[in-house]
Amino acid sequence: MAELDPTIHICDDWIHIGLPDRKMVPAVQTTLTAGEQWTEIVPGLDSIAVQFDPALISPDDAAESLRDRLAGKPPKLKYSENIVVIPVCYEDNLAPDMKYVAEKLGIPPVSVPSWHTAQAHRVAMLGFMPGFAYLESSEEIADIGRLASPRQLVKAGSIGIIGRQSCIYSFDSPGGWPIIGRTPLRLFDPAKPRPALLSAGDTVRFQSISRHAFDRLQQDQQQ
Amino acid sequence: MSIEILNAGLQTTLQGAPFTGHRHLGMPAAGAADCLSLALANFLVGKPQGAVAVEITLTKAAFGFRAPCSIGVVGPAEYIRINGQDRPRHETLTLAAGDTLDIGPGRPGCRTYLALSADLEADSLLGGQSTYLAAGLGGFHGRALRDGDIIPLSRPALPQNLAGSTPSGLRPHYSDDHVLRITPGPEAGKASDEILKNLCLRPYSVGARASRMGIALEGALLRMGQSSDMPSAAVFPGTIQLPPSGQPYLLGPDAQTTGGYPRIAQVIRADRHLIGQLAPGSRIQFVETTTERATDIYREKLALLSSWLGQIKLW
Repeated sequence: MAELDPTIHICDDWIHIGLPDRKMVPAVQTTLTAGEQWTEIVPGLDSIAVQFDPALISPDDAAESLRDRLAGKPPKLKYSENIVVIPVCYEDNLAPDMKYVAEKLGIPPVSVPSWHTAQAHRVAMLGFMPGFAYLESSEEIADIGRLASPRQLVKAGSIGIIGRQSCIYSFDSPGGWPIIGRTPLRLFDPAKPRPALLSAGDTVRFQSISRHAFDRLQQDQQQ
Repeated sequence: MSIEILNAGLQTTLQGAPFTGHRHLGMPAAGAADCLSLALANFLVGKPQGAVAVEITLTKAAFGFRAPCSIGVVGPAEYIRINGQDRPRHETLTLAAGDTLDIGPGRPGCRTYLALSADLEADSLLGGQSTYLAAGLGGFHGRALRDGDIIPLSRPALPQNLAGSTPSGLRPHYSDDHVLRITPGPEAGKASDEILKNLCLRPYSVGARASRMGIALEGALLRMGQSSDMPSAAVFPGTIQLPPSGQPYLLGPDAQTTGGYPRIAQVIRADRHLIGQLAPGSRIQFVETTTERATDIYREKLALLSSWLGQIKLW
């Protein structure tokens, strides 16, 4: 494993920490959570940013304490052991881009669900909207591009796929990812002690469900 | 005990302190776009700086009071009228049940804050009550107010010994021309040396695509020296991104938490409240500064404000 040799860039009241290996992100995130002076710790795909209050600590002191914290010890690759099973209905109008994705993959649309559920996915980060998850597949995947023009409305729970990344929309929103299915689970519930269903580092397994099961689970979620 | 929205205007929302500590879950800051005007309004009614208030955008708005209440109005509103009578901004005003409050359009500038001595009933989540429109969370059912909405009030008693009047030296100057100081973003160094120089060379103007999420800047197009592809990384309110179009994009309080465009600059914390007063057509002159200087400017600004507002922070 590469040495931990982060590039540190101070931007006024936040610091960008570029990491040489994206696998280091969850470990560095855990290391930093222990510190009290960060008002935000935000993972990116191959970086982490920390925000601080410049009335309380100067940017130089913040950067120095960050270097101390990260110095010398390449953090152990600590993956969350959390495995989350996400039920997905890959049918009909819940999967408007199934044909497009199947064509790109060179397989019939009917085979896409089993192809998708066979892969392990890891949550790379959350972003875009509260609880919106960016997932990375364990497989190398054909080049599936963004939709030529984004949709005005993508329904909450929709599963998108671009290359080896999948995503789960947490709220109704505009969006440009090709959609191959939808989960009835709620990705973000601010009333819960852990509002986001997924965290960076979690492993996700998709499970194919029927439209009937989707409707039933969605009803349960709303109660 | 309530107020009724007689005219909601273009976009009126309940906003207070931002959400903090949840960006890793994808939860943006939200909260008042101009936190300084909010703090000044809240102070006039004896509230903490981040208490939830009414944020009015660009156009006029009107409210019917069904309970006696003290208010403070701070922002670029052209006028304040109670039952048709002109009243001053920056002063504690008192309304009786049955009174009507008219707030004029905010020009030049963009957002006016109406703080109330009574508590506005708002949805609470993640330790805050601000409205995050894109996900329909917080505030008044997660959405902008509409004509006819009725917001319940609690604690309606009229407090005594309120602040009275904001000192003239602390009243913000609302304008169409802004100077925003920036420090280089993480990808500024990857771009050509010229990129920040060009950003600061001439004023940019605020385009029609302007919202609480972000503002498309119109002016000289900028080019990254190399490929602009980068893995998604954290962004914050005040970050200036450079999409492939070359048109810089300034992020606002509702900005998403991560983005895939190069982050060429960051508006310093001391100046970030001004983003809330940018309206389509406003002009911005960017000026580069250092992080050391930015910290000094921030601390000096807080010291000046604390003489009136007490312990305060900007966000």
